[in-house]
Amino acid sequence: MSDYRHTDNAQRVVVTGIGMVTPLGIGKEEFGRRLFAGETGIAEITSFDTNSLPSHRAAEVKNFRPRDFVSVKNMRRMDKISLMAAASARLALDDAGFQITPENRDRVGIVLGTAFGATDITAQFLQTLFTDGPASVNPILVPNTVMNAAAGHTSIELGFRGVNTTVTHYAVSGENAIAYAAAEIRRGTVDFIFAGGADILSEFYYTSLTRFKALSPQNRGREACRPFDRERNGMVVGEGCGILCLESLRSALDRGRMPYCEIMGSGMGSSPTKPNQWPRKTEGIKKAFNRALQNADTRVDDIQAIFAAGNGDTILDAVEAEAYAELFDASQKKPFITSIKGATGESFSTGGIRACALALSMEKNILPPSAGLINPLRPLSFVTGEKKDLTVHRATLAGISFGGTYTYLIFGK
Amino acid sequence: MHQTGSGLKKRIVITGMGTLNAVANHVSGFTKSLQEGFCGIGGIDLFDTTEFRSQTGGQVKNFIARDFLPRTFALKRMSRADKLALAATIEALRDASLDPFPEPFKEQAGVSIGGGAGGLLESETFYRDYLRNGGENAKFSTLSSLFCASSTDCIASAFGLSGPKSTFMTACSAGATAIGYARDLIVNGHARMMIAGGVEPMSRLTFAAFNALQSVDPETCRPFDKDRAGLSLGEAAAIMILETLDSALSRGANIYGEILGYGITCDSFHMTAPDEQASGAVRSMRAALQDSGRSIEDIDYINAHGTATPVNDITETKAIKEVFGRRAYAIPVSSTKSMHAHTLGASGALEGIVSVLALHHGFIPPTINHREADPLCDLDYVTSGAREADLRAVLSNSFAFGGNNTTLIFGRYSGGGAAHE
Repeated sequence: MSDYRHTDNAQRVVVTGIGMVTPLGIGKEEFGRRLFAGETGIAEITSFDTNSLPSHRAAEVKNFRPRDFVSVKNMRRMDKISLMAAASARLALDDAGFQITPENRDRVGIVLGTAFGATDITAQFLQTLFTDGPASVNPILVPNTVMNAAAGHTSIELGFRGVNTTVTHYAVSGENAIAYAAAEIRRGTVDFIFAGGADILSEFYYTSLTRFKALSPQNRGREACRPFDRERNGMVVGEGCGILCLESLRSALDRGRMPYCEIMGSGMGSSPTKPNQWPRKTEGIKKAFNRALQNADTRVDDIQAIFAAGNGDTILDAVEAEAYAELFDASQKKPFITSIKGATGESFSTGGIRACALALSMEKNILPPSAGLINPLRPLSFVTGEKKDLTVHRATLAGISFGGTYTYLIFGK
Repeated sequence: MHQTGSGLKKRIVITGMGTLNAVANHVSGFTKSLQEGFCGIGGIDLFDTTEFRSQTGGQVKNFIARDFLPRTFALKRMSRADKLALAATIEALRDASLDPFPEPFKEQAGVSIGGGAGGLLESETFYRDYLRNGGENAKFSTLSSLFCASSTDCIASAFGLSGPKSTFMTACSAGATAIGYARDLIVNGHARMMIAGGVEPMSRLTFAAFNALQSVDPETCRPFDKDRAGLSLGEAAAIMILETLDSALSRGANIYGEILGYGITCDSFHMTAPDEQASGAVRSMRAALQDSGRSIEDIDYINAHGTATPVNDITETKAIKEVFGRRAYAIPVSSTKSMHAHTLGASGALEGIVSVLALHHGFIPPTINHREADPLCDLDYVTSGAREADLRAVLSNSFAFGGNNTTLIFGRYSGGGAAHE
C-alpha cells in the first residue's frame, strides 16, 4: 500500500469486514472454499414450481438460518431480503472486530444496493389488494414494501444510527452503494460503514424474467450459466447478499486491524441505451474504467485482475470482453479476467458479493475460476477451470447494467 | 475527495428547476401557488378510491405527456413516473439554458433521482390482469419501466449524457438524498453538472399501504393543527440542475441559489414510527448544519417535513427546538405539504425547489388548512398566508419510513468566488 500517493490515512478507505449470505454458502469461509474450488450454487429451483416455465434453474440461498444471526424480537417483522441483509451485516461487523456501542452508534452507517427489492412482499401485497380489497391489506407488510426496508431493519437489529441509504440502479446497485459508502468515509460523516448489495429470488420475479427472455436457455441449448463462453445462452438468476465493512486506513491502523484491501477509487458513466437492454457498444465501459483509473491515480498496466460483470448473456459478455480487448490492447501485461456469476448466479446487486470475493482474493492471493466458462469467446486471459494463484496488488470490480450504466471500482492490496 | 487541495470547498449552485405537482405544472405557476396558499389536494381519477379511508390526494392535473415532451421521445414504454420526470427535466434544462443540451457538457453530466413507486401504477394494472387471466396473454413488457431506475435511465438516454447515474429509494427522503449525493459527485470531481431530483407517481399500492396504516387524513391534511388526522398523499416530479459555480459563471447561467450542505441519519428505532425522542431528526439537522459550515443563526426559514400525522408534527417540532434552542421560536417553519400533499420519494426534491424559490423570490410559503393551534406545536408555522422575507439560508427536512432522515440546506447566491473557506 505504501506506493499509493495519497498519504492522508484518514482519506484512504479500507475493507476490514466481510459478511455474506449466498448460494455458495453463508459466511466468508464456506463461500471462499466453494468459490475457489470452482463449485457452483446453481441448481434446479426448489422453492417454487417451474414446470410451466422455459427455465428451471437458479442459484438459491440454502441452509440459511436467520435465527443464528438475528434476534427473535426483530425477526418477526423482517422479510427475506431484510434477514439476508441483517445477517450479512452482522457477519461483516463480527469480522471487522468491533462493537456497536451507545458511544459510536451515531458514527456507523450503511449504504445498501438492491436492484429489485422485496419482490415477494410486493406481489403478496398486491395479490391481497386485488383479490380481497383494501380492507384486507395487512399493515405489518407495509414497511417491507419499501426498498429501504432491508437497510432500516439492519440498522435496528445492529443498533447503529449514522448515514443510512438505499441505492437502486439495476445491475450496478451494489457497485454504486460501495462507491457512495467509500465517499462517506472520506467525507468524514461516519467512522464505519456497511456497503454492499442484496436481492432475492421470488416466483413472480423469476416468471417475469423468463418472459423477458433474459434467462438461459434463451430458446437454444442446455440451460446453464456460462460467462464469456462461446456456447453461452443467457444468464441464470441468483440471490443473496454481500456486505463489506469500510473504515479509514487510520481507523484500521489505530485498532490494529489488517485490512483485506483498499478501495482506491471509482469511475462512473452512462451511454444512451434502450430501456432494459444491455449496451451494444464499448464506449461506456471504457469511459467508466478510465475514470476509475484516474480517480484512483492508477495506470492501466497496474490492473492485474478484473472481476467482470459478464453473466452469460449473449450481448453483455461480448461487449464487455471487446472493451477489455480494446482497453488493454497496448498493455504489456494483460489482466486476468474472472466472472463468478457462474457460481453465484446473476442477482443484479452482485457488486456486493463480488466485492467480498475480490477482497478474499486479495487476502488469500488466489483468483477464483469462472465457473461455467470452457471455450472463451475471445483470446483474453480468463481464469478458467481452476483457481489461479496470484498476488494481486490492483484489481477492478466491473459494474455494467442494462439501460447503459457503468460503475468501476479500483481495489488495492 | 471532498476538499480541494487548498482546503477550499467547491461551491455548487442551482441553475435550473422544473416541476409538475398537484398545484402547478411548471415552476412559475408553482411559485404563484405557494405565494397565494393554493391547495391542490382534491379528488383522484387515476384509480378507484371508493373502498379507501381517504378519497383525496394531490394528483398532477391535466397531464398529457405529449404536451410536455417532444415528438422525438418514444413514450410507448414509459411509465407515468418516467413521463413526469422527463417533463420536469425538460423544464429545468430550458430554465438553465441547456436545451438543446450542449454537446461539450454531455461528457460530464449525470443524473441522480430519488423515487418511490416508479412504474407501479401501470404494473399494478398488469398484475391485476395477470391474477385474473393468468400469465399466458399478459404483456410482461409493461414491467420494463416498473423500477425507479427507469426514470433515471430515460433522462440520461434522452439527452445523451455520459456522466454518473444513480437512483435512490429511501421512501420519503429519497429526493433529498438524490440531491445531496449529486452535490457530492460534483464536489468529488465525478461530474461537472447533475440533473437531480425526485419523482413519485400515485399508485394503488401506496394508497392502500398508507390507508392500512391509518396514517392518511380522510379530509385534506392539516399540518401542525390541533385536530390533524394524518397526511394527504400526492405525486410530483421535481428536478434541479446542479453545477459548479465556475461552470455556471463561465456560461453566464442564471443562479437561483446554492446548495450549502446535507445530512443523513437513521433513527434505528422503528420502521414506520418516528423516534419520539427525535434523535434521528436532531442529528440529521445538525449534520446538515455542520456540512454547510453555517450556524443556527444563519437559518431564516425551515421547510418542515410536516406530514400532518399526529406524531410527526410533534416530534419534528421537538427536534427543531432541540437544534435551534431559543432561536426556534424566531424562525418561521412551514409545511407546504398542506398545498402539494406528501409526494413521498419526490418530496425532498419538491420541497428543495420550494426552499430555493423562497430564497430567490424572498418569501416564506405558508402552512394552509391550519385552524387551531396545538399546544405541543408551538412554533411560528406561518398559518396566515405567505410573507415577504429576505432569506439567507433555508433548511428543509425529509424523514422517512425505515427511519431514514435527510436534511438539505440551501443558501441565497450573493456573489463571491468558486470555493468556500
